[in-house]
Amino acid sequence: MTLKLFLGIWLSLVIIAGISFPITENPTNWYDLPFVPGLEDKARIIFFHVPMAWVATLAFGISLIYGIKYLSKENLDYDIKSVSSAGLGLIFAILATVTGSLWAKFSWGSFWNWDPRQTSIFVLLLIYGAYFALRSAIEGDEKRATLSAVYAIIAGVTAPFFIFIMPRLVEGLHPNEAFVSQGKISMNPTMLVIFLCSLSGFTALYFWMLNTKVRLERLELKHHLKGD
Amino acid sequence: MYEFLSQNSLYVVLLIALIGWLGIVFYLFRLNKKIDKLEKMFKE
Repeated sequence: MTLKLFLGIWLSLVIIAGISFPITENPTNWYDLPFVPGLEDKARIIFFHVPMAWVATLAFGISLIYGIKYLSKENLDYDIKSVSSAGLGLIFAILATVTGSLWAKFSWGSFWNWDPRQTSIFVLLLIYGAYFALRSAIEGDEKRATLSAVYAIIAGVTAPFFIFIMPRLVEGLHPNEAFVSQGKISMNPTMLVIFLCSLSGFTALYFWMLNTKVRLERLELKHHLKGD
Repeated sequence: MYEFLSQNSLYVVLLIALIGWLGIVFYLFRLNKKIDKLEKMFKE
């Protein structure tokens, strides 16, 4: 309970700092955020949108790991962890898509621009949407778990291509150069601290949500097996 | 609304943070519903 309370306070502080710290042309105070030409206040999206996309990536990766574990041990608990993580990944990917397209409307002029990252996340949403369609179409716990694990592995292997490689191969609209130069993060220290706090807070939130979901799914499975 | 948001981009970011939290709240409500269902099943 204390940890959850701490997480709530941590993320609240991230939101307060991310929204209220002033943006100035020459940051002199510790709480000043830099002025990014063309982005201005919209640069603050980095504290919310990027962590959502990061959590989606992490969740798909963890779904892949538990998919492999299920295939090697055939323990239904690993299937529960894999599907729960994929579900959370899908939710965070949807949130990243919605928040990103809202931002795009006010930065690029329209909600959807087929920017490489937008295209990538669209394909990922389709891939993981199909994962849940596949699961719901299969009867029998073991068969469903095996096929889902295979699919989670294939999907998880293709995900890094869509997330990390494809957007770097094609020129896009995302303002990466405002925060990254020559492959390295180049951010004002205050901005970097808030960003890292947000990233760690969202990661902790993901693990808490995953834990809750896994516990619930275990109970459901127990009840389902009892019924059989 | 569009005019206001395009002139005050801070509110766009506020809206984005709000969407994030609404998504998480929606997910937690779904979990809560599932727990209610399970509790009912275990009682029967």
